Amino acid sequence: MKYLPFVLRNLGRNKLRSLLTASAIALAIALVCILRTMPAGLDSFLSSIASNTRVSTHNEAGMVYAMPYAYLQKVRAIPGVVAAISWQWFGGAVDLSKGVAFPNFAVDPEDFGRVYEDWNIAPQALEDFRKYRDAALVGRGTLEKNGWKVGDVVTLQSTVFPMQLSFRIVGEVPNPRATQFYFQREYLVQAFQASGTPIDSTGMIWSRIDDPDRVEPIMRQIDEMFRNGEAETASETEKSFFGNFFSSLKGIVAVIQIVAGIVTLCIVFIAANTASMSVRERVGEIAILRAIGFRRKIVFSTLLAEAAILSTLAGVAGALVSLGLTLMLRNLTSSGPQLGPLTGFIVTDTILVQALFLAFLIGIVSGWLPALGASRRSVAQTLREVF
Amino acid sequence: MIDITNVSRVYQRGADEIHALEHVSLHVSKGRFVALMGPSGSGKSTLLNVLAGLDRPNAGEVVVGGRRLNELSEDQLAEFRAHTVGFVFQFFNLIPVLSAVENVELPLLLTKLSRAERRQRAETALRIVGLAERGDHLPRQLSGGEQQRVAIARAIVTDADLVVADEPTGDLDARNAEEILSLLQTLKRDFGKTIVIVTHDPRAEKWVDEVIHLDKGLLLETRPGGGLRDVAAS
Repeated sequence: MKYLPFVLRNLGRNKLRSLLTASAIALAIALVCILRTMPAGLDSFLSSIASNTRVSTHNEAGMVYAMPYAYLQKVRAIPGVVAAISWQWFGGAVDLSKGVAFPNFAVDPEDFGRVYEDWNIAPQALEDFRKYRDAALVGRGTLEKNGWKVGDVVTLQSTVFPMQLSFRIVGEVPNPRATQFYFQREYLVQAFQASGTPIDSTGMIWSRIDDPDRVEPIMRQIDEMFRNGEAETASETEKSFFGNFFSSLKGIVAVIQIVAGIVTLCIVFIAANTASMSVRERVGEIAILRAIGFRRKIVFSTLLAEAAILSTLAGVAGALVSLGLTLMLRNLTSSGPQLGPLTGFIVTDTILVQALFLAFLIGIVSGWLPALGASRRSVAQTLREVF
Repeated sequence: MIDITNVSRVYQRGADEIHALEHVSLHVSKGRFVALMGPSGSGKSTLLNVLAGLDRPNAGEVVVGGRRLNELSEDQLAEFRAHTVGFVFQFFNLIPVLSAVENVELPLLLTKLSRAERRQRAETALRIVGLAERGDHLPRQLSGGEQQRVAIARAIVTDADLVVADEPTGDLDARNAEEILSLLQTLKRDFGKTIVIVTHDPRAEKWVDEVIHLDKGLLLETRPGGGLRDVAAS
């Protein structure tokens, strides 16, 4: 520790060069931190929202096409299906000028808790969701974003149907990433009836299967059952459903991570070059230090410490930048359902520790050879050459 | 203090062999002020490096302060230099980012002294060289003569018995050169230091006890300097 002030003074010797090198390292670390959040964010997002025993069934022609609502009863009747509900996209907006800010669906409340038993929705909320015709269950992300709370009444204007409905929030989906807004299908049906237009279709059916091993055969059975029917169906597990949704993104993330790795390697070379320049400028001074009794190990350690401290401090700065950027991204993306998944990309403590270790490593690797070379130079020869 | 017996040093420069020292033997008693003189390439700096433990001879024996330097490892030589030898170089060679007192304190980092003790000793050394008031100044804020005084303070701060100086007046004007030589003699006279300098400066002759002439790696002659003649005269 007694050499620390000496090391720090040397770091401040050429402030501009130190600053520029530190900036390059900080930028690389920030980039790595942000990219490191992506696979973990996608995985955690998929894990948090998806289940292997939950199956989605939609029109084979595409999710935007409807299916007869009567399909729901037929799916429920299949042995092995624990529970099933329908989803009908409502496309409601709080403010039409801002568009649909969160996904909202009309669902069947009776089986909702059983289909989504892993979401840990409070029993009282599920009970109230079944009990009150205008009840709504809202994801915590949307609640926080809009400043809503349980008990509030909110009105959504549909962008799909010519109607406006008011809802009483009776509970939340307790996941900060959850942005969905669910309400009773019956409420929607009654609204349609009031307007003289009955509704007998649905957009999607979600069912829970009792045994993971039976998921595949039951999915085949569902699709077989509706073959040549009014609307043919395509079924897939929830994980597969969302996995496919994000698969292209994962590929891009992989490419970006490779690029980030190459960038980091470039930064190592840049930092090594800076360390070499710094050492080369001080060959005479280093020889003097050796002459007055500084052993090779001490000279090597102090030079290496310079590179490691500079790099680690830059790493701290880069990690903080990435933390700020991801928090900002989280705030921005939580406003739109399309970007909702990105709210899960958070720079975790683990990523921060990894980033600092990486920064330290960059310092050590980049400083090693210049420090070794300087400490091994012959003192007498250097004195002859330099002075 | 210094016993050098039959020392030779050969450098390889490309395909050529440079015989910097050839069978040089030398004895310097404790408390003497000695100047190594001779033309460029005569081997005087090599001899200084060898007796200060900076360079190893190819042949011969070097004993300084009772320690046989030939037998010491690199780390042991570093330790020997840290405790036994103080260095002064022509171009002052202070660390530019450290203040004068911090430069003087530098060799003490290698000791077990506390921070306060290190600072106290550094300030004492600066007081001895007459720069007590300039401790906080960076090297660039000091004149050439003052920088060389700081370098001398750094050389004596560990209380090394031997002070070696390579052209200590080479980059100074006449007045400052005289002051530095006077200071070195004071170190010898008042503190009992053994001082060996390499110099081209003929003014040095009147301050030193002995002048040793070298040429082409050979020790040509040893004769008394002005310092000894003064003593003899008095």
